[in-house]
Amino acid sequence: MSETNVQPYNYGIIRLFTIMAIVWGVLGMFAGVYIALELTWPIFNLDTPAITFGRLRPVHTTLVIFGFGGSALFATSYYVVQRTCQVRLSSDVMANITFWGWQTSIALAVISYMAGFTQAREYAEMVWPIDILIAVTWVTYFIVFVHTLARRTQPHIYVANWFFVAFILATAILHIFNNMEVPISLFSLKSYSLHAGVQDAMTQWWYGHNAVGFFLTAAFLGMMYYFVPKQAGRPVYSYRLSIIHFWALVFLYMWVGAHHLHWTALPDWTSTLAATFSILLLLPSWGGMINGIMTLSGAWDKLRSDPVIRFLIVALSFYGMSTFEGPLMSLKSVNALSHYTDWTIGHVHSGALGWVAMVTFGSFYHLIPRLWETKMYSDRLIFLHFWLATIGIVLYISAMWVAGVGQGLMLRAFDEYGNLAYTFIETVEFLKNPYAIRALGGAFFLIGIVIMAYNVFMTIRQSRIERVALEAKIAAKLAKA
Amino acid sequence: MSKEKQSRTVQTTGHAWDGDIQEFNNPLPTWWLWGFYATVVFAIVYWIFYPAWPIGDDYTKGIGNEIEYTTKDGKTVTTHWNTRALYERDLQEARAVSDKFAASLKDVGYADILKDADKSNYATSAANVLFADNCAGCHQPGGAGLPGHYPSLVDDDWIWGSSYEKVEETIRKGRQGIMPGFSASLKDAQVSDVAEYVLSLSGESVDDEMVKRGQKIFHGDAGCVVCHTKTGQGNIDMGSANLTDQIWTVANINTKSDHDKKLVAVKKIINNGINRSMPAWEKRFTDTEIKMLTLYVHQLGSSN
Repeated sequence: MSETNVQPYNYGIIRLFTIMAIVWGVLGMFAGVYIALELTWPIFNLDTPAITFGRLRPVHTTLVIFGFGGSALFATSYYVVQRTCQVRLSSDVMANITFWGWQTSIALAVISYMAGFTQAREYAEMVWPIDILIAVTWVTYFIVFVHTLARRTQPHIYVANWFFVAFILATAILHIFNNMEVPISLFSLKSYSLHAGVQDAMTQWWYGHNAVGFFLTAAFLGMMYYFVPKQAGRPVYSYRLSIIHFWALVFLYMWVGAHHLHWTALPDWTSTLAATFSILLLLPSWGGMINGIMTLSGAWDKLRSDPVIRFLIVALSFYGMSTFEGPLMSLKSVNALSHYTDWTIGHVHSGALGWVAMVTFGSFYHLIPRLWETKMYSDRLIFLHFWLATIGIVLYISAMWVAGVGQGLMLRAFDEYGNLAYTFIETVEFLKNPYAIRALGGAFFLIGIVIMAYNVFMTIRQSRIERVALEAKIAAKLAKA
Repeated sequence: MSKEKQSRTVQTTGHAWDGDIQEFNNPLPTWWLWGFYATVVFAIVYWIFYPAWPIGDDYTKGIGNEIEYTTKDGKTVTTHWNTRALYERDLQEARAVSDKFAASLKDVGYADILKDADKSNYATSAANVLFADNCAGCHQPGGAGLPGHYPSLVDDDWIWGSSYEKVEETIRKGRQGIMPGFSASLKDAQVSDVAEYVLSLSGESVDDEMVKRGQKIFHGDAGCVVCHTKTGQGNIDMGSANLTDQIWTVANINTKSDHDKKLVAVKKIINNGINRSMPAWEKRFTDTEIKMLTLYVHQLGSSN
């Protein structure tokens, strides 16, 4: 082969994505804490339209889901596919296109939201030119990934890669079909959706829930399937379980989006199917948790000494909890109480903070020392990050349970005269204390990732210093010889 | 532990990825498999009893799940289970309770409602929600108003009258609160004099000379007395403010620290006038609802 000078793996692109994941994570979580403060104390609006809740909220969700989560998935999927296929990414140029395309999309999205441009579709607020940029980026990602798999030197495709491929393929389909729209003119950022009315809502939540299913669940399971056995040094618990729960998961997820539209103009039969398929989804979701936790069992002693294992086990626990809570909330009678309340927000965050962010932190603390060929700068800071994050999540979720269930009950309460017992504003006043605690929980989590950013920055710096020292040593030796 | 032993004896699939990642080939956990079957059974049972599968233009309605409810117009509807019908039935149940009380308020005067604990409690409970949903947007939750924009309903000043009849009229027909601006007809110094005089009516003035000059203008050329009357007590029939009662409904001078600022606040009103309006609610509420809101608003502030 003529590529003798080329490194066996393309780590450069992974390093870039890893750094950007942390950068967007810090910014996105800051935006989250800020809007939590705005909801509690409206004075934080500062009478500035660009930073009011309506504009900063999509900034927060886009930065944490697509900026932080997305970049983390690019990084880990590129790492895992290369390591488990024992082959370099098929094209450096295309990998670079995915990096710059993705980062540009995130940056443009944030700027356009703050300037007031939005499609008003949740988690798909980007205006149409950004949609096109994302579509091009994503198709490129698909080609690089699949082409790399095709060139593998291993006889079999490792389970983590199934999940990554499912995630990349499904996300492409979801993104393209949910963003079919007609711009009102070539030079306008505004557009009309191709679908109308309840079909439009259906398409949006088919997208919205599968963004949760394939982006935030399947893809992070891919991450889990590599980093958990790797860090624990133990074989995956059950290959059979991984096959069954993979196919069940990808088949069932596509049906359930309509449970976001219970008690609306949606036909009742659609609601029923969404609710029952959500219940069917419970055990297949748990398959991933079982495989993860049973893989860790036998390495329990490492919980005491290995902070990475701690992040992973807590992530799997929250994954199990929120995939139980989700089907529960998708039942129409439970949904009648939970919908339009903060219970939904709490549920999303037990998945997003507890599962997605925690498994990412764990994987990153494993990945980063290997990418920069050194040790983490401080293990104690990792432990500190772990505790801040865990306490933050618990505060956040319990505050939202109180807020959501409380407000839900108040909204439906009648007094002995057959009148509504509470006015809407009374239910809002009730939210103030839980909201303050939520902001506090969010702040804990934010401080955690800031500490991580510092730890990673110092690790990279330390790696540079070590390399310079090593090169100097070699140079000195060569000079002697 | 038996599980530990079990997974030790279970073979791996034989491959190793990235050097050391292997996979055991443990069977599916029994509880997991039976749990999954249970959810399948749950789903099938659910599909039998509730609307579930589309067939052509129609869909399966589910069996044995008829819902019957009565609409607001008294029509009885029987239908297969659906969320809309559940909602209608909930409303019907609430109406069944509240209609009884509402009917008891019909053709009953304000005084009689107040004498009856059940009636007045019902009126307060219903009006509390009506007020929050319809009135609080302007008059604010609790009725405190926004100084300069929307009148407070909790002070002792009733611009348009405090009797039940007057309050009811206000709600039914709405109100137009208009005072012309005087910046074109009066010089700035004159406006200052009038403002000082207006302040003097509630004991807020400091300059007697100005008060004297202002009084002349107030009672003379400017014609303030036409609306505010010679005593400055206003006229509830035209909604002109009582300037003598130390309750400031537009120029919010109570929050101003020194006399100059108070003067400026009053001058602003004299210069620019007032243009406030409250819409008519007659067509939005039933007669009983208006009655209940009248009672509710009336007891927010004390009547003179």
